[in-house]
Amino acid sequence: MSSLSDQHLVRGVDHAAFPTFDPVGTVRFYRDTLGFPVVHSICAAGWGPEDHPDFIHFFFDIGNDDRIAFFYYFGLPKPEVAKGDVYAQFGEETPDWFVRSRHLAIHVDGEDHLMEYRRRLDASQWPVEMQIQHETIESIYTHDPNGYMVEITRALRPVTPQEDLDANLTIDALVDIAQRPGHGMDDLLVRKAELIVERAGAWQAEQEVPR
Amino acid sequence: MTHRLFMLDVPENTQIAAVAAEAPDVTVDRLGPYFVIASDKPVVIDRRASGARHAVWYSCVGGLEGCRIVQWDKDALRLEQR
Repeated sequence: MSSLSDQHLVRGVDHAAFPTFDPVGTVRFYRDTLGFPVVHSICAAGWGPEDHPDFIHFFFDIGNDDRIAFFYYFGLPKPEVAKGDVYAQFGEETPDWFVRSRHLAIHVDGEDHLMEYRRRLDASQWPVEMQIQHETIESIYTHDPNGYMVEITRALRPVTPQEDLDANLTIDALVDIAQRPGHGMDDLLVRKAELIVERAGAWQAEQEVPR
Repeated sequence: MTHRLFMLDVPENTQIAAVAAEAPDVTVDRLGPYFVIASDKPVVIDRRASGARHAVWYSCVGGLEGCRIVQWDKDALRLEQR
């Protein structure tokens, strides 16, 4: 067996890529407003299928050497967007909470850093739309010029070890119940209680063993 | 028949468990890192008394044994025997 076979080897986001029909707005937003440096770009002649347009692929640093990237395709018509973004459009009947569920959240180290990004956004044409304290994080939200929702978030406190246990019990319970027809939150909480009874005591004992 | 609600012991939930413990028919014990809120009667936890903000309130339940949630809104969390 390889010495790597049981290791968690990945190191964060290399890049997350999105199309843009507004390269000027995109640069104004990410580079000039948020201050994310341009760190890479590719000017590519169309390749592959005959209808592939020429394009620019460009990258902004989002910290930690991770990157957000865009594709700008020359001559590609911009879609009409009533609800959603330039990649995914939805009808008016689609609830906003569903449309907002897919977003990129970028981490900052503390409240003063979060408020600094709030200041930069509020001084721009993309002001903060919401500032929310969730369970253990606080976040600001806006939409970039392409309609993509961007969240910047800070931890309100460090994650505790028991939250990792709890997350794993939740996901094991979800996997157990998610194929039952008509499953709901009640099914999950009942199954999770069984897993808590099975595993929480042993987990605690393990934590208390001197290392 | 005693029913039990499990609630993860994290700082955001401490006061919720404390409010639950004030009711005469409720005991709050521990199983590993979880509070175990147990009773053989219906249990009502008042949200405002707990001081929990909404995001915390609506994610505080870890598991249900022998009971079901019959109310979980901005006012209260109410459990009854299943």
